[in-house]
Amino acid sequence: MPDAPDALTATGVTKRFGAVVALSDARLRVGRGEVHALLGANGCGKSTLCKIIAGTVARDSGDIRVDGEARPLASPRAAEAAGIAIFYQELSLVPQLTVAENIHLGHEPRGAGGFVDRTARDESTDHLIGRFAGVAGDTFSAKTRVADLSPDQRQITEILKVLARRPRLIIFDEATAALDRRQVDVFFSIVRDLRAEGVSSIFISHRLDEVFAVADRITVMRNGETVGDFAVAETDPEAIVREMVGDVRLGPRPGKRPAAGGEPRLVVDGVGGGRLKDVRFTARKGEILGLGGLQGQGQKRLLAGLFGAEPFTSGAVLLDGAPVAPRRPADAIRAGFGLVSGDRGRDAAFPGRSILENAAMASLVREKAHLILARRLSARFDRMLAGLKTRYAGLGAPIGSLSGGNQQKIFIARWLAARPLVLLLDDPTKGIDLGAKADFFAIIRALAETGTTVLIYSSEDADLLSLCQRVLVFNGGRITADLSGPALDAVGLTRAAYGEAA
Amino acid sequence: MQALLDGRLWLITLGALLVLVGVNTALQPNFLDPSVLQSNLTTFLPLVLVAVGQTYVVLGGDIDLSVGAIVALVNVTTVSVIAALGGTNEAVLAGLAAGIGVGLACGLVNGLVVAVLRFQPIVTTFATGIVFSGLALRILPDAGLPVPEVFWRGYAGGAFGLPTVVIVLAAVVAVTAVVARRPFAIRLKAVGGQRAAAFQTGLAVGRLRVGAYLLSGLFAALASLCLTGETASGDPLMGQTLALSSISAVVLGGTALAGGVGGPLGSLLGALVLGMIGNVIFFAGLPFEYQTLVQGLIVLAALAGGVLVARR
Repeated sequence: MPDAPDALTATGVTKRFGAVVALSDARLRVGRGEVHALLGANGCGKSTLCKIIAGTVARDSGDIRVDGEARPLASPRAAEAAGIAIFYQELSLVPQLTVAENIHLGHEPRGAGGFVDRTARDESTDHLIGRFAGVAGDTFSAKTRVADLSPDQRQITEILKVLARRPRLIIFDEATAALDRRQVDVFFSIVRDLRAEGVSSIFISHRLDEVFAVADRITVMRNGETVGDFAVAETDPEAIVREMVGDVRLGPRPGKRPAAGGEPRLVVDGVGGGRLKDVRFTARKGEILGLGGLQGQGQKRLLAGLFGAEPFTSGAVLLDGAPVAPRRPADAIRAGFGLVSGDRGRDAAFPGRSILENAAMASLVREKAHLILARRLSARFDRMLAGLKTRYAGLGAPIGSLSGGNQQKIFIARWLAARPLVLLLDDPTKGIDLGAKADFFAIIRALAETGTTVLIYSSEDADLLSLCQRVLVFNGGRITADLSGPALDAVGLTRAAYGEAA
Repeated sequence: MQALLDGRLWLITLGALLVLVGVNTALQPNFLDPSVLQSNLTTFLPLVLVAVGQTYVVLGGDIDLSVGAIVALVNVTTVSVIAALGGTNEAVLAGLAAGIGVGLACGLVNGLVVAVLRFQPIVTTFATGIVFSGLALRILPDAGLPVPEVFWRGYAGGAFGLPTVVIVLAAVVAVTAVVARRPFAIRLKAVGGQRAAAFQTGLAVGRLRVGAYLLSGLFAALASLCLTGETASGDPLMGQTLALSSISAVVLGGTALAGGVGGPLGSLLGALVLGMIGNVIFFAGLPFEYQTLVQGLIVLAALAGGVLVARR
């Protein structure tokens, strides 16, 4: 019996973003009617590979075949024409439109004269919703506006929108994140039905138990390349975690300090909002506390909440024993928080303005300055910036004249001058080179020595392992592990990130 | 109550319109006479048309500040073409066609600059509006150039036993009803509601935005032809207040300025409300200066109401 061609074969796929190699040798083979899990630690390239398959990112080289046929997959439309659909975690629904309008957007059923056949559209939508009957809630129908849906109902709508396209290969990237247990069960039964109809799925999940419940095969990626392809029946979670981490032998961690024994500085008591659910922890004076786990598990939301950019909807925060509830960043800055973001263009830089202005901004907010004397300011910052090992033409040079790493030093200097009690770091090392990173870490450690509490989220586990004495691991908006001492190593982090008990 | 109003904010506008009609009838007992109604509708119709066109642009998340200038440019083009061709019946038809062509061309220019070159809609259409006004002044520097009798008589008269203005209004309602049932309407709302989502869903975002500007240009051209039928001559400064009035009408009709929510029927009612406010102030014997003030306050109230509804 001749084998049917595989639904998808990708070989030797490479992709660079500037100087960063995202994929060096990615391989993936998905059989017809197979549920295939794609796993790996943060930054291993699995999202990039999926975006290439979905046509939203162009590959540099490599061969991708769909049903045995070579495909360039140059655009989302080309991927759709090849029968590929991707589930987006966000941004694909229009809140002002109804469920039916969203699900059929761009593929509206037409009646006579090209008019939208609303009856057919709403009926087919209600039929699709019927697959989640009993677990999707009463207020969920074809005519409900998406703005009025709960997060889980929105996620179900996204799933149905993908199903309505009748694709032959579906990429589910964290499709279960907002669903409860019963909804996940229904979703899995749909995925199994699709498998029976010959539809293949690529499945990305932050939960190993889900992967082992639904997948047929697993591909593990590490550092931009595929390291293995396993049948679920012939492996176990322990072996998969080891594949994800690789055999790294970690020597003594550089700059490791004894666990801080300082007094509690920041007490976070059951905060929630967005993805976050009931997050509670205490950070001490002088502690560098890591926020670990896979990307998008609520770490950034926690930092945004503490900084007042997206206020929490429940819970309380105590700073040195006093409650703080910042509603906007200016409140948080005056209370003693600082934030350095890896997304400098969006969160930090005032492009076209001078280095001095960029460095001084937080101090001016903290001090509620009304009158700014440039000369006094530059004297103050000249001394401080000299200590950062940053080379610049002059304080008046535009911020854009610096490299990413040196810019980041300016942005941390912004907070050093404002003397924060708590410094929040949101993936701060993104896109900066190794030399600047070492300087940056040294500044953070020096700051912690002075008693500042540092909370750092990084998409690279290595950053957390070299900086932190303690890491809180997030999974699905909750803290699922609190790692310190011997439990804090690459294997422990990865295992906890995938929801395996440490 | 809230379920009834959900997505039907124009019901409030309709209520306001009925109240105004009631007040107006009390102040001006012959208001409901057919001839008075027709003359009122003749006055209101240009704004109704421009507001309907503006609605599509606003639904797509953009704005068109050039509609007043398009009205002027279409007017001077039409009267000039008619005059150049000798004022015959054929010349009138050619003038109408040229006017509509110019309106569509203006809409196309706006759409391409905004959606393809990705310039800011508000600044772009402000600037193209100045250009269109300049062209209008170049074509016809001074007001004048009367149109043939058949033009304005036809507009003041009627057909099939109905006044022309009523037929135009009915045609507008029919056109909006057709457009509302095309995929275009839903996709345009998606573009205005959440542009990133529309793009990721594979919609031709640029083409949809251009389509909205084309409709705006078309309706501005129709408004201009109605105004020309009313004034019976060319005027390069015609319609200068129409851009902002049309946006007021759109807002009054319950369409969100942020895009994605609303529809042209509400704008039609909003335009009638704005016109009726002027009527009521006139017949109540209040100084004319109050008209602008009251209109402004009402638009402000409508904006505040929209924000309150959105925040609930």
